[in-house]
Amino acid sequence: MKSKSAEAVFEKKRERRRRLAQLPFERKIEIVVELQKAAAGIREDARRKVWPI
Amino acid sequence: MEKALQVIEEMTRLGIIKSYAIGGGIAATYYIEPVLTYDLDIFFIPAQEGLDELTPIYEFARGRGYAEQAEALIIEGFPVQFIPAYNDLVREAVADAATLTYRGSKANVVKAEYLVAIALQTGRAKDRERVIRLLDGGAVDRTVLAGVLEKHALVDKLKKIGGGTDEK
Repeated sequence: MKSKSAEAVFEKKRERRRRLAQLPFERKIEIVVELQKAAAGIREDARRKVWPI
Repeated sequence: MEKALQVIEEMTRLGIIKSYAIGGGIAATYYIEPVLTYDLDIFFIPAQEGLDELTPIYEFARGRGYAEQAEALIIEGFPVQFIPAYNDLVREAVADAATLTYRGSKANVVKAEYLVAIALQTGRAKDRERVIRLLDGGAVDRTVLAGVLEKHALVDKLKKIGGGTDEK
């Protein structure tokens, strides 16, 4: 069973995801590219290139 | 990405493919928070059923000078993975697609309810995660989903992962 404080944290996470879900699709794609750049900084992979948007 | 979407639309107009819908991570990103992905997954109905449904696509791509990279075609700089609609569920998802707009370009995208159903059917860990995110994101019409899951015998698979109500 979850504690009240844990549930509050999870609820905040859900709220954040819902906010991100409401962003315009164009902005979401920009975030995908930011995620790709971050991942490339951790591990280079020639097959996983950052998109040229 | 809009140029890649325009090329895919053009392929439909030219009859290279009959119809298509974006699936995978980009389709999920349309409905929920952005997810890390590298390919633009395209489910398509072939113009002609046959042994090699990808041949017309690759011939078109070669004619345009698009490179191949592993399972993807690099269309206007974007890795695009063409996946023939491989069963009734995916064919239905393509036939009943929604429309998205990206920088003025329109494209077909698998509806959220079908994304859930396809993810349940595929069943990898990342698919189960996607189901939970889609359900929690509020983009899924539960009545429509129930009908799709019933039709394709996926109700139990959703029950097994808790229906998306108990996630972190």
